Amino acid sequence: MVLLDYLRTIRRLTGTKEGCREGDCGACAVLIGELKNDAVAYKVVNSCLLPMGLAAGKHIVTIEGLTADANPIHRAFIDEHASQCGFCTPGMIIALTAYLLSAVKIKAEEAIDALDGNICRCTGYLSIKRAVAAVCADLSPKLDSNRIDDLVKAAVIPEYFKTMPKQLRSIRQPRGDQHPTDALIAGGTDLFVQQAETLETAELYFLEKMQHPVWEEDGVCFLDAAATIADLKESEFLQELFPRLGEMISLISSTPIRNKATVGGNLVNASPIGDLSILLLALDASLHLSGHVQERCIKLREFFVEYKKINLAAHEIIKSISFKTPDESVLFNFEKVSKRRHLDIAGVNSALLLRPEDGLIKEIHISAGGVAPIPLYLAQTSVFLTDKKVEPNTVMKAVQIAESEISPISDVRGSAEYKRALLGRLLQAHFIALFPDLMREVIV
Amino acid sequence: MAGWKSPEQMTYVGKEVTRVDGAEKVSGRAKYTHDVYFPRMLYARILRSPHPHAQVISVDTTRAEALTGVKAVLGKLRDEVNYVGDEVAAVAAVTEFKAAEALSLIKVEYKVLPFVVRESEAMRDSAARVFSGREKNVGDWEEEHEGDVERGFAEAEVIIERTFHMNVQVHTPFETHGCVAKWEGDELYMWDSTQGVHGTRSGLAQHLQMPENKIHIYTHHMGGGFGSKFGPKSYNAVCAQLARIANVPVKLLLDREEELLATGNRPSSFQTIKIGARKDGTLTAFQLESYGSGGVGGGAGVPAPYIYYFPNWSVRHRDVYINAGAAAPMRAPGHPQAAFAMDSIMDELAAALGMDPLDLRLKNDRNSTRQQEYVIGAEKIGWTNRHKSRVGHKVRGFGMGAGQWGGGGERSTKAMVNIYADGSVDVRIGTQDIGVGTRTIVAAVAAEELELDLADIKPKIGESDFPWAPASGGSVTAPSVTPAVKRAAEKAKNKLKSIVAEKMGVAEDAVSYAGKIFSISGRAENISWQEACRFLEGSSISELETWGEGLSSWGTAGTQFAEVEVDIETGRVRLVKMVAVQDCGLVVNTLTARNQVNGAMIGEIGYALYENRLLDVETGIMPNADLENYKIPGALEMPDFDVTFFDQHERGVIGLGEPPAIPGMGAIANAVADAIGVRITELPITPDKVLMAIEKAKEGKA
Ligand SMILES: Cc1cc2nc3c(=O)[nH]c(=O)nc-3n(C[C@H](O)[C@H](O)[C@H](O)COP(=O)(O)OP(=O)(O)OC[C@H]3O[C@@H](n4cnc5c(N)ncnc54)[C@H](O)[C@@H]3O)c2cc1C
Ligand code: FES
Ligand code: FES
Repeated sequence: MVLLDYLRTIRRLTGTKEGCREGDCGACAVLIGELKNDAVAYKVVNSCLLPMGLAAGKHIVTIEGLTADANPIHRAFIDEHASQCGFCTPGMIIALTAYLLSAVKIKAEEAIDALDGNICRCTGYLSIKRAVAAVCADLSPKLDSNRIDDLVKAAVIPEYFKTMPKQLRSIRQPRGDQHPTDALIAGGTDLFVQQAETLETAELYFLEKMQHPVWEEDGVCFLDAAATIADLKESEFLQELFPRLGEMISLISSTPIRNKATVGGNLVNASPIGDLSILLLALDASLHLSGHVQERCIKLREFFVEYKKINLAAHEIIKSISFKTPDESVLFNFEKVSKRRHLDIAGVNSALLLRPEDGLIKEIHISAGGVAPIPLYLAQTSVFLTDKKVEPNTVMKAVQIAESEISPISDVRGSAEYKRALLGRLLQAHFIALFPDLMREVIV
Repeated sequence: MAGWKSPEQMTYVGKEVTRVDGAEKVSGRAKYTHDVYFPRMLYARILRSPHPHAQVISVDTTRAEALTGVKAVLGKLRDEVNYVGDEVAAVAAVTEFKAAEALSLIKVEYKVLPFVVRESEAMRDSAARVFSGREKNVGDWEEEHEGDVERGFAEAEVIIERTFHMNVQVHTPFETHGCVAKWEGDELYMWDSTQGVHGTRSGLAQHLQMPENKIHIYTHHMGGGFGSKFGPKSYNAVCAQLARIANVPVKLLLDREEELLATGNRPSSFQTIKIGARKDGTLTAFQLESYGSGGVGGGAGVPAPYIYYFPNWSVRHRDVYINAGAAAPMRAPGHPQAAFAMDSIMDELAAALGMDPLDLRLKNDRNSTRQQEYVIGAEKIGWTNRHKSRVGHKVRGFGMGAGQWGGGGERSTKAMVNIYADGSVDVRIGTQDIGVGTRTIVAAVAAEELELDLADIKPKIGESDFPWAPASGGSVTAPSVTPAVKRAAEKAKNKLKSIVAEKMGVAEDAVSYAGKIFSISGRAENISWQEACRFLEGSSISELETWGEGLSSWGTAGTQFAEVEVDIETGRVRLVKMVAVQDCGLVVNTLTARNQVNGAMIGEIGYALYENRLLDVETGIMPNADLENYKIPGALEMPDFDVTFFDQHERGVIGLGEPPAIPGMGAIANAVADAIGVRITELPITPDKVLMAIEKAKEGKA
């Protein structure tokens, strides 16, 4: 059973709404609070994709659990008429509360970005944005170091939040399963979209997180396969490696999905346009797999076999993902084009890693999604560019080679012709982004 | 009876009034149909056809009935299914998952029939028939003309001909269709997410062959409809029947996929337009041949020639049927299609004439309101200084469009105002608040008329047992409801006045009322509202009154301007700014009205850039029947909106639901054409169309 059904039909807490049951609308948003050190860290998640097992040991907060009297968020939503039919409103308010609970510094613009998982069909969002801005202006001077206390004082959350660390510590925290035999759930964001009905009665196993989502050993960077996309975004180590990390990650799904969706799940999902698959292919990553009997390590490019078919045995799980920590000289770029800017699967995406040395391309790895049945590592293109100089002509030739490596099909995200053209543009865009001076000719 | 005071003299009408049910909505306490619960309630699901066209030979429900937890089954709802998603059978069980499991146990024998989902193909004589036994898939030609088109084109110095294609948009209200049915003896109580409690009642009465006075429909809170929820629909009857069989309440909610497949949509439109003009921009002739499809439904016609004055014109249209879910009215049916094509071709004409598109419109639009609105809108978007600026691979463009709508009041609308002995008041009217704030304007108008505080009035709406009001659609709600409420409140107030007069032993016209005080001419003492109401002890005032002339009117004009930025590397279009200038007579609530316009504009952005019901030619399946692939705009796609109401309060109340949903597509398409120098004639303007158009234009030049 997913949390949404539990809330609505068993607890009859109907403030949490159902709009799609697949993570695309945010009507079902709830807060999930998890013990971290001595405090409870709150995030927004989509309850329609959250199996009850993942709620165990957590503090779940619905719209009914926020302060009802004189809540400044309520006031602002009413005053600005941000609630029209009102069906999206509880989800919006929960997402905003999650932002207030977790943001270091409150900024209206960021707060609006935090609503990237919430859809509204009535208002045109303008009144919602005004309400969010009003809340931020009102609260930002009042929110100091002790966020929970301050938000209690500001009448956003009730008094009992203060007791949650103690309460959560007093209950037994569930443990994950080491050797799953049936349906293995990491974040559940993929499985519960694909097979909600079979999972209703299946026995579920939950993947356990390691101690750290990201760590380094001997110049190699490791990611816990159970790390969420949000964990990656928050990792200071990765932020330092990839200065544009936040921007890249904000292009992937939405805040509530990123809070649950894991790296391993994104790879196993094997979608030809999986964003993390594309990013990690360009990092030339390796996978560390563990099965009943043995452990093995394979290159990510060997992992994807054909459409939705992967090199993973039954009962085998991805433990971690690793790639050589890029040194300072390494350049990295990611491009994604979708219809909408946020919460939209890519039509085509591509990543590129490049190590220049003495004016030549010493090492290069390029990946492309949406142009083949699998997330594609552009092997020939990468080989072609190795030891070449970055020049418009060379790039144009590389585009031609790339076009011979791909086999896009027409689907709801665009025609094959378009995807072919777009990949060419994205390859150029990588070089334009990384070598604006050398590529000037192409720009104009 | 009295008309509206001027807005300055009013307290609640014409002002920013926050919604009276706001606290319920923001706290999650508001109970929508989705949230209705009764003990022992069952959950129903409908089995839908996987085939676009088939004969239903037999439906075997034995195994479904045998499943524990299944309490009611309806087999074989129809003999022929005509689209993927058409209803076949239904069950009610103890949980939704049980019901879904039961559906999988129903064995249906279909005789699969040939089908057609593409309009151009469906029109051919050789095409598969959408409905077995019908001779053709097209309706009759509807033709109209004025003047002499031949002569008009002969007089023209420039003639342009283009074909435009509009996509199918789906309403996508946030709350999907659904209802809860509960029988008490032979009376049916139904909570339904409907835009019309009265229409749903009378329709169901016919369908179930029972008297209207035994059916009670409730819609207290509703998560949007946009025209798709003019009940009853077949799910209402199915739910009522299942509840009767099971003898307990049954809840039937459609899921998002069903919503996208089977609850209505805006028909497609294919328009081939030829227009002629003199060199000075005077329009001389217009010719339209159009067809479009509302799936297995009709209604794909467009009003033409739209907006601009042509002395000579002829139009021809016919509906085409395809094997897809039926259309339903959607925000200004027909008008957006007409406006998009007309405004697109007007810009093409302007380009051919070397004329500013704004000047061409000023010259040929005979509506005096829009004449002024064009000037205001142009000023707001910065029309005269619009120069295409290019930052790297991003190009900007500007465009405009125009619209018109009716939106008058329904004369048979009635409201009842009750005044109780304790001084409290309620207003009962069988309208419903589909999100736009109807409950709030009912309270505001009564408070205004009775000169009481908003909090003193309890608006009671959303029940079919209340006095008749029209369905919420066609922008008739505000112009229907406000006059009836105002007049009923006035009547109740006069009644109270006469009671005061009687008690005080004076003539009725000696009593006057203002600011919660009754005063009697020639006497010093005053009587407060509370004191006056106490005269009612043992009784109450209940006054019913209908809609009346002079408080509302019909006909609106509007224009919108768009500024876009096109990324010529990726083909992606970003809205930078949209300006709307709209008249709607007396704006009853400026806060909700502004939202209404913003909401309409985001619908336009979706229609123009993202939304499109696709149908697979091979299988008849809709491949994007979910919100992952049927994309509606999100908060971060929103441009800067600038909304101006063109004040005409002296005209009284006019509806605002549809008008702002019309001019945007043309404005956006024109802005994109302005930016990239090529016109996209087919909506939605997706990145692939833009990029391919740019590539093609380059090839053409090279
Ligand atoms: C609304 C929405 C938007 C999305 N947007 C994007 C997007 O923009 N870009 C994008 O790339 N993706 C997107 N996705 C897909 C999403 O990122 C993936 O579904 C997610 O990463 C999967 O991770 P998970 O942990 O939730 O997987 P789960 O659903 O838990 O698992 C998916 C599959 O992987 C298996 N699995 C998980 N972890 C492991 C492991 N360590 N070892 C072996 N098997 C494992 C599971 O058994 C299951 O079969 C979106 C999904 C949704 C619902
Ligand atoms: S119901 Fe839409 S995201 Fe959960
Ligand atoms: S207010 Fe209706 S969906 Fe947002």
